[in-house]
Amino acid sequence: MARNPILALAFVAPALLFLAAILAWPLVSAFLLSLQNVRGVGTSGTWVGFENYRFILTSGAFWDSAGLSLVWVLANAALQTLLALAAALILHQKFPGVRIARTWIILTWIVPTVVVVMIWRWLFSTSGGMINPLMMQAGITDRPVGFFATPESAFATLVFINSWRWFPFIALMMLAGLTRIPSELYEAARIDGAGPVRRFTRITWPLLAPTLTVLLIIGTLLSFNVFDIIWLMTQGGPAGGTRTLPVLIYETAFRSYRMSEAATIAVLSTLLLMTFAIVATRSLARSGDER
Amino acid sequence: MKRTLGWNLALAAGLGFFVALVGLPFWWVVSGSFKLPREIIARVPTMFPQSFTWQHYDKLLSSSDYGTYLVNSLFVSGLSAVLTLLLAIPAGYAFFRLEFRGRETWYRVILLAYAFPSIVVLIPLFTMFAKAGLVDTRLALIIVNVAFALPFAIWMLRSFFGSIPREIEEAARLDGGPPLTVLRRIMIPLTAPGIAAVAIFAFVTSWTEYVFASVMILSDAKRTIPVGFSGIIGQYQVDWGLLLAGASLAILPVVIVFALIGRWFVTGLTEGAVK
Repeated sequence: MARNPILALAFVAPALLFLAAILAWPLVSAFLLSLQNVRGVGTSGTWVGFENYRFILTSGAFWDSAGLSLVWVLANAALQTLLALAAALILHQKFPGVRIARTWIILTWIVPTVVVVMIWRWLFSTSGGMINPLMMQAGITDRPVGFFATPESAFATLVFINSWRWFPFIALMMLAGLTRIPSELYEAARIDGAGPVRRFTRITWPLLAPTLTVLLIIGTLLSFNVFDIIWLMTQGGPAGGTRTLPVLIYETAFRSYRMSEAATIAVLSTLLLMTFAIVATRSLARSGDER
Repeated sequence: MKRTLGWNLALAAGLGFFVALVGLPFWWVVSGSFKLPREIIARVPTMFPQSFTWQHYDKLLSSSDYGTYLVNSLFVSGLSAVLTLLLAIPAGYAFFRLEFRGRETWYRVILLAYAFPSIVVLIPLFTMFAKAGLVDTRLALIIVNVAFALPFAIWMLRSFFGSIPREIEEAARLDGGPPLTVLRRIMIPLTAPGIAAVAIFAFVTSWTEYVFASVMILSDAKRTIPVGFSGIIGQYQVDWGLLLAGASLAILPVVIVFALIGRWFVTGLTEGAVK
């Protein structure tokens, strides 16, 4: 293959420079901000070294949020992967209307998050709404359930809403992985007399596993970063029960006007995520080599 | 493919579950937007509307600039999708085919773009845009949206290019085509479904974006649908009829777009390249 560094540069440089200017440089500025004591947007501060880091790492609020973020990521990964896998396996079958189902399952993802939040706030509402009256009719409960009343229930409800929004997208990515499995393998297995369960455990699962791992990593990064759904629904409440790290960053910056502290939390979150991403992709690459 | 009856029933049950999970909320919202207020707040909810009214839509359209929001959203999302493709196609091709120093390293660095909370760059970016005079312009939103769609777009396109049989590309190159011609004449047409999927991905990312749009845009005339709609929510807290009408109108444009090109998104994601 011909080496053509100038052409390669011309192809890659625009995208790289763009990302450098809009994502990488602000990231560096955030780091510089974390070494100062700036309070409001646009005001100036003095250099304080790693003073902010010492303060944040010894504050309870940061560790509370980090813990919540961890649970948030795990719960979303579990729920959305499970829903997505089930949906993908169904959409991989042949049945009348499968094309329509494949197209419209994505509806939850193409609707603005603001609308998603409004829809579920209404559906879960204690006055009006649909879920509470239906549950009362079915005799599950005799008075309206306040889904956002306690920290735990608000958190669980948000996990459901976020996974509801994201699982169809992940399901389609899994479906892409499923369609890459050669159908001859299934034919051969059928001729050998393998039932649906065996076909799943011996063919589908092992061949889908690499795709699942990649999606699990992407899904983890995406759900860690979810901010709008949480903020619009609960603003981190009640009693800080849904204040994950992105919510804490926003609150610190735009509610308490402590820019440098917000930047510090942001840098720490980034370090956390980058470590996860690098370790995860490393182990992924290694398991790919073994194959 | 032959299936047993029990297998078919299980499939139907699973399908029914997902149709309800995705479809019911939307049905309740759209049908609710035509109900009279007293039916919306009735103690016993109705699955099918017993009343019919346009009053929520009348009130919504006369009290807000929905048309302006819609045009802004279409403008921002459309241009974001085009710009994403312009940057991602050459980059995706280069990462897939061209040899240069540090190719794999740069490729991984790009994917790290999703490894930090996007809220992190909000503060510095706002300062940067303020200096450049970009605050309160739709261009600012386009720039941000492209930046967030780009890494994933490059990643998808690289794998789509990779699914084209090597012989086709070799043949084109042996015929003496320079890489740019090979890309334009062979690779792009062959990956058309994948490119469409990437364009839709970029469009939707931008269409649903709320946080940056709410911070960067100050004047009402430049608001996108998410920001405009959140203003309406704040103003009419519990006027559910009005909010349901607003939600329905915010859903409508993407539903129309998806009715026209939605199957390309799925085909593109699952197949990537014409085989």
